[in-house]
Amino acid sequence: MPRFHFDIHENGHLIPDDDGREFVDEDDARKEAVLTGASIARDAFVAGSAHRVVIDVREGTAPFLKVSITLEVEET
Amino acid sequence: MPSDTIRAALIRRLRISSGIAEEDIREIEALPISVRHFPADTSVVRDGERATDCCLIADGFCARSKTIANGKRQILSLHIPGEIPDLMSLFLHVMDHDLATLTPATLGFISHETLQKLHRRSPNVAEMFWRDTLIDAAMFREWIVNVGQRPAPARLAHVMIELRERLRLIGRTDGNNFEMPLTQEQIGEALGITAVHANRVIKQLRQEGIVELNRGRVNVLDERKFQELADFDGRYLHQSPTL
Repeated sequence: MPRFHFDIHENGHLIPDDDGREFVDEDDARKEAVLTGASIARDAFVAGSAHRVVIDVREGTAPFLKVSITLEVEET
Repeated sequence: MPSDTIRAALIRRLRISSGIAEEDIREIEALPISVRHFPADTSVVRDGERATDCCLIADGFCARSKTIANGKRQILSLHIPGEIPDLMSLFLHVMDHDLATLTPATLGFISHETLQKLHRRSPNVAEMFWRDTLIDAAMFREWIVNVGQRPAPARLAHVMIELRERLRLIGRTDGNNFEMPLTQEQIGEALGITAVHANRVIKQLRQEGIVELNRGRVNVLDERKFQELADFDGRYLHQSPTL
């Protein structure tokens, strides 16, 4: 099974994922990245601790995909 | 495992939390229990199955869970020695969720027939078991509040403190240190987050000097911050006959 690493950036602050995690296939890893981004962003946005969350997924050292979630509040 | 060891945690728990009388302890000591050893991550009773006995955890950790159509699993509760996590199967005949081991476990099976006879013979024991299932429901209420309302780090801290308070009751804590033998996947399933998010939360709590989780053991680094983060009020565990 392929091993993917999920490096997390919150407002540019990087939390690297050295261990990684095995997934059945790329689709499974993609789902994990989107769900993880959404749930980290929910906490961070509500707490006000970050307005941008990026999940940078690599397979070994090769980039695989990147999920970016940004909070935009337009006050009128 | 000698039979008194099978019942030790249960009797210890009932002494403290329900103030069980000596004559009722003798009833529990006399219960016929058939002991079986289970490996880790093994189903004890499955959603949809008809249970014929209840299972007393003598040693090891178990979890109750439910899996939805897309295969995602929600862990509903964690269980430790001295608990009978499927006590409700005595009256609710078909299981509406799964019970499985998290670690290798020693389980004692008590037949429904035996329990029914005991209840008729000893209304005190029946009331105590009734109270047990009510506390079980109180823990589920707290679990819903936790998963529905708290941010992920607080969720984890709350589940940890609850587990610690329950382990403390049966003498299974070691100072600031206690067992929580869950993988990151299982922590995610308990908290309603992904395994990757669970990993991030565990790292964050360690970096902030609050608590560390290492190979299934929790070590509290800062008790005050830990309590504050978890927003924990243990009344719902009703760990005394007066509560």
